[in-house]
Amino acid sequence: MRSSRVRSIVLTSGAVALSMFLMTCSTVQEQIGTITGGKVTSSDVETATKVTKAVRNSFADITEEEEYYIGRAVSAMILSRYPVYKNEALTQYVNYVGNATAIHSDRPETYAGYHFLILDTEEVNAMAAPGGFIFITKGLLKRCRNEEMLGCILAHEVGHVTAKHGLQSIKKSRLIDAFTIIGQEAVKRYGPEKLAKLTDIFEEVLGDIAEKLIERGYDRKYEYEADKLSVQIANHTGYDVNGLLDFLDTMVDDTSTESGKGWFKTHPSAKDRMGRAEKEISSLASAPSEKTERTDRFQNAMKSLN
Amino acid sequence: MNKSSRLKGILIGVAILFVAVLLAENLIVKVQTTSVRKEPKFYSPAVATLVAGETITQISAQAGWFKVKTSKGVEGWIHSSAVQSKSFTLAAIDKSLKTQATAEEVALAGKGFNKQVEEEYKSRNKELSFAEVDRMLRIIVKTEELRKFLENGKLGEFGGPR
Repeated sequence: MRSSRVRSIVLTSGAVALSMFLMTCSTVQEQIGTITGGKVTSSDVETATKVTKAVRNSFADITEEEEYYIGRAVSAMILSRYPVYKNEALTQYVNYVGNATAIHSDRPETYAGYHFLILDTEEVNAMAAPGGFIFITKGLLKRCRNEEMLGCILAHEVGHVTAKHGLQSIKKSRLIDAFTIIGQEAVKRYGPEKLAKLTDIFEEVLGDIAEKLIERGYDRKYEYEADKLSVQIANHTGYDVNGLLDFLDTMVDDTSTESGKGWFKTHPSAKDRMGRAEKEISSLASAPSEKTERTDRFQNAMKSLN
Repeated sequence: MNKSSRLKGILIGVAILFVAVLLAENLIVKVQTTSVRKEPKFYSPAVATLVAGETITQISAQAGWFKVKTSKGVEGWIHSSAVQSKSFTLAAIDKSLKTQATAEEVALAGKGFNKQVEEEYKSRNKELSFAEVDRMLRIIVKTEELRKFLENGKLGEFGGPR
């Protein structure tokens, strides 16, 4: 009697464990079904299970902390090329506008949050390093006529961060090399040889990003995607998304001495972008308009810009 | 109570616990520091502060936010971008088969491109302005200030009907 009771307990426990396992499988199957929108075979589930337990192999597997350290180093490169514009009040204002857009994006939290800095140059440019380090030049700020324009420009940069365009610029082979070294080392601190190798790859990774971000510009498709995200984020924040068009319009016929540098060199033509942005804007269900409260505080904050 | 029914009780208890542990969706904090908030809004007051690697239990989900319970039993809301689901992989059982680590393992161990790699990189590139980067990181927008900025500028939920 006693042994049969124990047996039934063991069987019950086994059944519970089995049902949990089956439930996990069916959940995986359901989720894949949702993603693919179709029927899923058992071999699909097997593949998916292999993938979920697979090791790191793409930019998407870079951890938040790693992205932060990459972003820090890219920012250090930017800040060794351009001086910081020392204007605490205006910098704080830019951070308010930037963070207002960031919390209305799909990725409001990054490893160390979003931080915005003004670069002391007449060059017209804005750059976003991985992890949420965002830079806007004095020259670009001077082009902004209201908070709507500034909000749309910063939302474009936040878009680059949320879509991880910087990380996507890293050559895949470098990541595979790095992931292999990182995975093999069991200890928390690296030995001198591994550290040297990993730092070599880190430098190459930064080179890949800097080449795109600072020298040549991101691929066109990323700029178009960031414009699309700018429209969505700015609209969600409550800014008039025509701010993006207004800004692009000021860039179309630019003949200033700064043409050919910064933004002009690293971004696709403003006219081309305007057409695409207009299409994106026309698809919005509703769009907020410019508010005097915002324009007043913008003008107030910009008084100190020289 | 005889011995076998006590054994049965213990086994059922263990089974229930096992099920409960598997059913509860565990989340790991993946950002340096974040807050569990009273309401699902960024400018809602914080009820707990968490750091990278801490595990919390998900209670429910709503438009990008998770209602969670911390290890100290505090309940509140956390944004989904601050956490990742704790994965349960069979691969972890046979570690000898693995030559690489998963993103989660790397994150938890603080490995990968980390402070140590940055220090080595800095020593090779002394001209770079990491001090300016640290200053940039000290520019903080406080929760209450952000709320006022949104409210005064009629942004976000303060924008009213469109």
